[in-house]
Amino acid sequence: MTAVGSACMGTSAAVAEDWVRALSVPGPLQDEAMSLLHDLMLRAARRQVLRMTPMLGGVGLDVVDEIAHQSANDAMMAVLAKLGSFEGRSRFTTWAYKFAVLQAATDVRRRVWRERAVDVDRLELVPDGGATSEQYAEAVDLASAVRHAINTVLSQHQRRILLALVVEEVPVDVLADRLGATRNALYKTLHDARKRLRAHLRETGHLADLTSQAGTP
Amino acid sequence: MNRRYRPLAPGLVARLTLDTDPWLSCDDCFRLVDQYVEELLEAPAGAAPDAPAMLAHLRGCPACADETTTLLLLAAEDRGLDPGVAVARLRERS
Repeated sequence: MTAVGSACMGTSAAVAEDWVRALSVPGPLQDEAMSLLHDLMLRAARRQVLRMTPMLGGVGLDVVDEIAHQSANDAMMAVLAKLGSFEGRSRFTTWAYKFAVLQAATDVRRRVWRERAVDVDRLELVPDGGATSEQYAEAVDLASAVRHAINTVLSQHQRRILLALVVEEVPVDVLADRLGATRNALYKTLHDARKRLRAHLRETGHLADLTSQAGTP
Repeated sequence: MNRRYRPLAPGLVARLTLDTDPWLSCDDCFRLVDQYVEELLEAPAGAAPDAPAMLAHLRGCPACADETTTLLLLAAEDRGLDPGVAVARLRERS
């Protein structure tokens, strides 16, 4: 790949040498490490929020900065709480960034969805072969089979989670908040629902159709 | 009760029935993602880390995929690498 910038800008050598120690041992080095860590968190959070600004509907940089600062502060607490779990499998900076990225992404998604209702109980899927599909009849047949399977093979809970996450595109952490569940638990439900649908479609002979249409927009 | 209708077109069918095996949880994705993006950045051109469960998870979980992209951008910048190349490498794998 092409080099376009310098690595890890602004990190002092003493802190970079051993972030965990610098952040753990009280003293001037810890103060510097805390300050540098906050800079990292802010940079990562801001990057995530900026990537998601289209979802926020034309907000200004002041709102971006407000979200990024709050996310960075929360992420910093998370990093410090998890410091003992850093195993050195990646650079410390990369490991730390992921906390800020997760926090910022979650904060933005919550903000975007805070006024929006999630209601999948009245949702009805209508088989559609796709306007430009060359195999319209086959696509409609497959869609009908998938709709039938969703309504008959899945449990009510699996159906609701599948429809909310995939059809309504409710973010998994937002749905977890609404249902008092965890992101992990909902993704497992989604995984199991997809697996059950695939197994059923294999039994009905539709899985070959599914494979041939994978990736169709 | 008023019903709401959604077209079940081929793209949506594909997402509803996506194969997300081998299983990987969001928690495990988060635990492994820093190592994964660094391996992705450090792999020679044309090669990539052998991580089928991670790839399956990123295909099936838009939230984790989006966060992984940002982490990749940040890690690429720290290495002085072109972020566009890094993201293209991630997308061609997932």
